[in-house]
Amino acid sequence: MKNNANKHAATGGENREKIGVFLCECGRKIAPKIDLKLLEKILSNDQIISHVMTLPYSCELPGIEKIREIVQDKHIGRVVVAGCEPRIILPKLERELEGFGIEKGRIDVVNIRGYVASVNQGDPSQLASKSAKLISSSAAYLDALIPSPKTRIEFKGPVMILGGGMATYSAAQELVRQKIETIIAVYTEDTEDVIRMLHESYPGKWDSHERLRAIINEVNESPYIKQITVGKLEKVRGVMGHYVVTFASEKDKPPLSYEVGAIIAALDGEMHNQGTDFGHDGKRVLCHTEMDEHIWLHGAPGHRVVFWINDLETERPYANLSARTAWNMAIYIREHNVFSRVSILYNNKIKILLSSAEQIMSRELGIEWIPYDGTIRPTVQDGFITYNDQEDQIEKELGWEQLVLSPLRHPGVEQLKVAQILGLHTDGSKFLERNPQMVRPEQVGLDRKFIAGSACEPCDLKETLRQGRRAAHKITELIGLANEGRLFAPSMVCTVDQGKCTGCGLCREICDCGGIAPVDGPGGNTPRVVDPMSCTGGGTCAAACPYHALSLQNNTTAQREARVAALARRLDENEVMGYGCNWGGVAAADHAGLRGMHYNSRFYLMPVGCIGQLDLSVMGRAFLEGANGLLLIGCPPEECHHSYGLDHAWSRVLLIKKMLDLIGIERERIALAHADLNKPDQYIKTVNSFVGIIDKMGPIKRNEMMEAKINDVYDTLNNSRVRWVLGASLRRPWETTYPSDQRSALAYDETLFDVLMEEFLRIRIINLLKKQPGVQQLQDISCSLGEERQQILSCLKDLTEEGIISRIFKDRIPYYSIRQE
Amino acid sequence: MKEIDTKKLINFSINGTPAQAKEGWTVLDTARNMGIHIPTLCHHEAVEPSGACRLCVVEARDGAWSKVVVSCMYPPYEGVEILTDSERVKNVRRWVLEMLLAQCPASREIKALAAEYGVKSTRFRIKNPEEQCMLCGLCVRVCAEVVGVQAISLGSRGVLKHVSTPYMVPNRACIACGSCVTVCPTGAMQARLDKVRGDVSQRTGHGFAH
Repeated sequence: MKNNANKHAATGGENREKIGVFLCECGRKIAPKIDLKLLEKILSNDQIISHVMTLPYSCELPGIEKIREIVQDKHIGRVVVAGCEPRIILPKLERELEGFGIEKGRIDVVNIRGYVASVNQGDPSQLASKSAKLISSSAAYLDALIPSPKTRIEFKGPVMILGGGMATYSAAQELVRQKIETIIAVYTEDTEDVIRMLHESYPGKWDSHERLRAIINEVNESPYIKQITVGKLEKVRGVMGHYVVTFASEKDKPPLSYEVGAIIAALDGEMHNQGTDFGHDGKRVLCHTEMDEHIWLHGAPGHRVVFWINDLETERPYANLSARTAWNMAIYIREHNVFSRVSILYNNKIKILLSSAEQIMSRELGIEWIPYDGTIRPTVQDGFITYNDQEDQIEKELGWEQLVLSPLRHPGVEQLKVAQILGLHTDGSKFLERNPQMVRPEQVGLDRKFIAGSACEPCDLKETLRQGRRAAHKITELIGLANEGRLFAPSMVCTVDQGKCTGCGLCREICDCGGIAPVDGPGGNTPRVVDPMSCTGGGTCAAACPYHALSLQNNTTAQREARVAALARRLDENEVMGYGCNWGGVAAADHAGLRGMHYNSRFYLMPVGCIGQLDLSVMGRAFLEGANGLLLIGCPPEECHHSYGLDHAWSRVLLIKKMLDLIGIERERIALAHADLNKPDQYIKTVNSFVGIIDKMGPIKRNEMMEAKINDVYDTLNNSRVRWVLGASLRRPWETTYPSDQRSALAYDETLFDVLMEEFLRIRIINLLKKQPGVQQLQDISCSLGEERQQILSCLKDLTEEGIISRIFKDRIPYYSIRQE
Repeated sequence: MKEIDTKKLINFSINGTPAQAKEGWTVLDTARNMGIHIPTLCHHEAVEPSGACRLCVVEARDGAWSKVVVSCMYPPYEGVEILTDSERVKNVRRWVLEMLLAQCPASREIKALAAEYGVKSTRFRIKNPEEQCMLCGLCVRVCAEVVGVQAISLGSRGVLKHVSTPYMVPNRACIACGSCVTVCPTGAMQARLDKVRGDVSQRTGHGFAH
């Protein structure tokens, strides 16, 4: 039975590591408000905690030295520090204790200062018991940890630069200078061909040609370079350090494969002309690339040329770039043909960025810059362009013999395909610009995939070359570290249990870190692998996996379940628990603590890296272990620092609400909220309001029947079919809004509910038969579950056919029992 | 990290009580370990001390010689007598607080601390009555040392000094973690955060989280 094999119980065993708890007095901030002596006493009764101690300041040097001493004397393997904000102090503690057997992940900080001492009013003994519950849950979290060894990254093979963009050469130059073997995949090996084709992607950059030529020559002459002219990129397999890159080749020949250590993609965007818009005809009305070609073929024209920067009219934001290109071409034309006249016409909403030296040059060359009032769109006539003068609001006409329009920029179809093969989510005509990562550098191995060029975001040649150099520089650094054996993946990243993975691809669809890649193998469905250097440790992919094949190292679902379970068991009936994400709820709570704002002391907050990390089973476990309310507080909408954790949590919460409703528990007992870290007052409102909602309902009326039902709900939440159907509703990275405009919302919801009901009934029957060994009649089952016989009969039939239940006939009456393995 | 000889003990005294420090400990570390309170503002355990606010001053006496030093950075030596609450120390702290009141008159935290020392008003010129920031640079240190990015820095020098992002525009290096807000001793960062992180929703989403 697949579902039950996945039950996330706290581990433990003989060789369980000892847990030490260190309580901080923190000057006057914790000690007088919380009765630390009482707290010590409560905690010393906790089975899994083997040592408790109070220190004036755990985080200062004397405190740290004391912790090191205790850790070594008492052979403590895991440490809970009860003090202040883990977001701030944890890195220091990790650093200071690392050499003493307390690796990353084996240490947890509970913010009793910010969540108890400074925000709750009450007598010190009450606050001590609240702190004890939080600390015990943290100890349970650490107790369930199965430490993963550090993943060392090695580079097996040279660096490959593919994509054929101009950044190829600057990146290669940087790499060969560092004596790193490099393979470059280019379309042509002829330097002059490369230079000639420049006008296609970077028009008007004649001043850079010499430099580029020098770079290409340097690269070509290096002994570390290998140039290959190949067909289309077909696939990329593997992870950082060891990739296999396959290119298509001519007919009848096998595809070419290369084993490389790292990949840089040099992708240049494309430029298109305006079609027939704005009078474009390719002869007299041109775009930048055509003008560049014209000058290349016929030299600088000796007549009147007008550059119209019409990006705003075509609703594109790259006006400045077009203005730069126009300016470059204008200089060239004026310098090479004295008979020419050049004007640059631009919308006055565009801010033209010319340095003072360039302004002087512009005056000397007689290049006219004409701003116009963009509220009236200029009209192109034969030989004239009409515009509205911004100064006097008069319609004026500007004569031209050649009119040059801004190009339409596009990332390029081929380039997008390459990006897709590299594991990036691409979206139609959107540029590949990688937003800056929104997590700490320690949480992710690479801050970006190595992509350079104008397909990321339109830029000029100089910027493209710079991006190439920067990517190469970063790779050089990493290779240097790896060669010294000091390059490790972050400690909390996803890993795939390939035995469980069915290759459904849900994780790759919903996670946009670009680190989940397929593995080549026989058969259709190929299992997945996670690139530990790309994963940010968001974990929503792990929480979504229908088969629990993905898990977050050193921060597993089992650990989070252990934490909720430990807390839920200790909570009083009128107390409420909640999970806050490190970027939203926890940060806002820390802020409220810093400001000493008071709020309801019956609320218990637990931290989690991203609200999307919370698996359905974690939420279910809370209710199973006795929680009466669960509040999840994430980041503000659209501000998830990982991959849409808030949206995914929303879908999961909706499912839990359905399940609660199914067994007669109020839907309001679980809720999703969000908090801005800078608005602690809103966070407090959220908490107080939720505690109020739970207070109104009172505790869940639990009896044996209800307990059994909640247990069945928990099993249903681990059911792979239910999780699969839920996976369909999780927001995909390319969806701009969610969930308000989902298609066929009702139909989906009905399907989900049907699946839930079906699987729930199956699980109830199985659990019932398991609990009561021996054979049972249909009537008994129907009676115990309180369901109609017809439904149960059809379910029993299915289960019997699947071989989960066995059926025997006595006196022609069927008796059912669970099939023993 | 410096090599620390953990066996070597330094004997000195704080407020007349014999104190023992190990090499590498500062006066503040030792005092706190003994449960002696010294007020601090710019000190945070998670980052290296910088001695910016001068509020943690103590008096170091060695025979007839005496000096007021910042305890967060001062390493004790054999035989030195430290006084954390002498009249001279209190006087210096009052001066510091008076100056801070002039620098950041709008800060609730500074006002409360000043009131503790009986400082209710300031004789220095108040440049900006709305100012909350005392320019201790703790936010800058946390951003660099704890978070590992350098989104904010202390811009300009002297009287023009201020905490901001380069070019005073929202910074893409900022990961909007709010650590600067969490450590700010005067509550000034709360109002500044939005200028640092910008509109986060524009930076996450639409395709890529990083």
